[in-house]
Amino acid sequence: MMKHMHKLAAAATGALLSVRTFASSAAPDWVEETFYRSGKINAVIAVVTVVLLGLALWMFRSDRRLARLEKRMNERSKG
Amino acid sequence: MKSWWWKAVGVLLLLYVVIVGLHTPLAPALVHVSEDKLSPGRADVLVTGYNTRFTADAPQAWLENDDQFVCATSATAERDDRLRVVFDVPAGMRRDLSHLVVRSNGRTLVFHDAFWNPAKGDGIAGTGCTPPEEDSAEVFEFPDRSVLYETIRNLFFHVPMWFTMMWLMTVSLFHSLRTLRDNDLEQDRAAVSAVNTGLLFAFLGLTTGSIWARNTWGTWWTSDPQLNGAAAVTLIYLAYLVLRGSVNEMDKRSRLAAIYNIFAYALMIVFFMVLPRLTDSLHPGKGGNPAFSKYDLDHHLRTVFYPAVAGWVLVGTWLYTLRRRARRIEAWLDDEAHA
Amino acid sequence: MRPAEILHLLRLELRLDLHQRHAVGGSLLYVVSAVFVAYQAMQGRAEGTAWNALFWIILLFAAFNTLARSFQREDAGQHLYLYTLADPRNVILARVIYGAGTMLALSLLSFAMYVLFLGHAPMDGGNALQYLIAVMAGGTGFAAVLTLVSAIASRAGNGVGLMAVLGFPIVLPLLLSAIKAGHLALIGMPWSVTGKYLLWLGVIDVIAVALAWVLFPYLWRDR
Repeated sequence: MMKHMHKLAAAATGALLSVRTFASSAAPDWVEETFYRSGKINAVIAVVTVVLLGLALWMFRSDRRLARLEKRMNERSKG
Repeated sequence: MKSWWWKAVGVLLLLYVVIVGLHTPLAPALVHVSEDKLSPGRADVLVTGYNTRFTADAPQAWLENDDQFVCATSATAERDDRLRVVFDVPAGMRRDLSHLVVRSNGRTLVFHDAFWNPAKGDGIAGTGCTPPEEDSAEVFEFPDRSVLYETIRNLFFHVPMWFTMMWLMTVSLFHSLRTLRDNDLEQDRAAVSAVNTGLLFAFLGLTTGSIWARNTWGTWWTSDPQLNGAAAVTLIYLAYLVLRGSVNEMDKRSRLAAIYNIFAYALMIVFFMVLPRLTDSLHPGKGGNPAFSKYDLDHHLRTVFYPAVAGWVLVGTWLYTLRRRARRIEAWLDDEAHA
Repeated sequence: MRPAEILHLLRLELRLDLHQRHAVGGSLLYVVSAVFVAYQAMQGRAEGTAWNALFWIILLFAAFNTLARSFQREDAGQHLYLYTLADPRNVILARVIYGAGTMLALSLLSFAMYVLFLGHAPMDGGNALQYLIAVMAGGTGFAAVLTLVSAIASRAGNGVGLMAVLGFPIVLPLLLSAIKAGHLALIGMPWSVTGKYLLWLGVIDVIAVALAWVLFPYLWRDR
């Protein structure tokens, strides 16, 4: 288990450093090395990130919408 | 909070999906060999593994195809994920010795179509080495498929987006039908809320699909029936919102939008159900038969995939009801303002 | 559904078209200039795939151009007149039939023009009859799908622009199938292959007409 976590962490760092393409035909050794060691975990991290960001954006928009409603409600109860 | 239990179920399911889906290791596999041609004579091959533990025991390696076997003269582990294998390749094999098999820690790892052999003949069937017996211990892990590797986990974060979108669009269709039947603005608000939420999942599906495609097929976008269908659906519902935006009168807007929704949904379903059957697709299981059983999900993936779909659908429904309730309050405030 | 009423409505449409000849002429002129532009752009040398795609795009825009008139041209007076006299289901059926007839004529004409200008070289290795059937099924299919869209757009009071926005994604399945059928006809596939797509085009037509028939009364009524 620890071993696996370690790998994920390493891959996460890798993702931050470079989300580079692996498909280059004349790949230098280190690229090949990263590719085979990370097993494309970058793509999983990116996908999960996008989903979370999308949901977060949605929450922010809902928040703004509700804030607007609250404002209208308060104006009504005052006037 | 109106009946909360299914929302909790949705969240718990997603929690399970994130934990098990990200934590389960991939099965050990061979991912790379340094040579692609085996000429007769001595051949020195460097094999790269993924999640393998070559140093933990003495791995055995052999070449195999169509009942021909050639065992390695030596297999030395350089690292846990690197194995140096030496073969004495005989001349005049009947077929290519295409598959490389490595047996390590009681597991048999196969690299299909690794090599081709020049100087074939029809005499020799093999060099008379018999591969060791298998003992299969069941381990909970995801299959390591070529091209996909770790991205097989995206199955839980990309595919359910489309399921959720389709579910929300179906909810919207239901409310559109009721809008026409009952002339009820609450039904109309439900329909548009479902479309709004569905579009969120459509965009998530498009973006995640694009990222996944870049990392497996090598392009951000391909002309695939699935992708075209997804793009068409997104455009249809954006058009639905444009239509709503261009009518001010609420009654009329509800009716026009409902009619367009029903018409579009019917044509879209037809599009989704039939077109992929007619053309080939890069998506697995498609091309001739999009039946889900053909998706060849193995049962370990299934135990996470089905909860993922259920969880995302529940959470999507939750988002939709939040939207709908906010809209209802907004409508009430509008009415009060006019009154 | 009364055939006599549909016939009457069809005659009304025809009279309206004869009355507004400039509109019909506009559609024809559109096709001619589009084909001419395509001819200039392709330098008269279009290969199979491009030849096929270009033709369908021209036909698609011609369909939008023609079918937008279906409901846009009716003024409030005519709407009221039809509303009091006719059953809405008959109105939509008449409009779809009339639109399909117009599109049939227009697509055959466009095809003739297209072949005249851009040549029939891509068709030589293929099956011209299959292509012709695809053209006819596609053309009438555009009418079947776009007539209801035209009605929605006109009721929304937002003219041709909205019609394009609403119509393009909806017509996409039909368009892609038509392009595919045309492509298969051009490369000379047997009937067993192309026939599947032609049949499929017919199915879309039927579904679209059936939906228009069911949904139109809700659109028609002003509560």
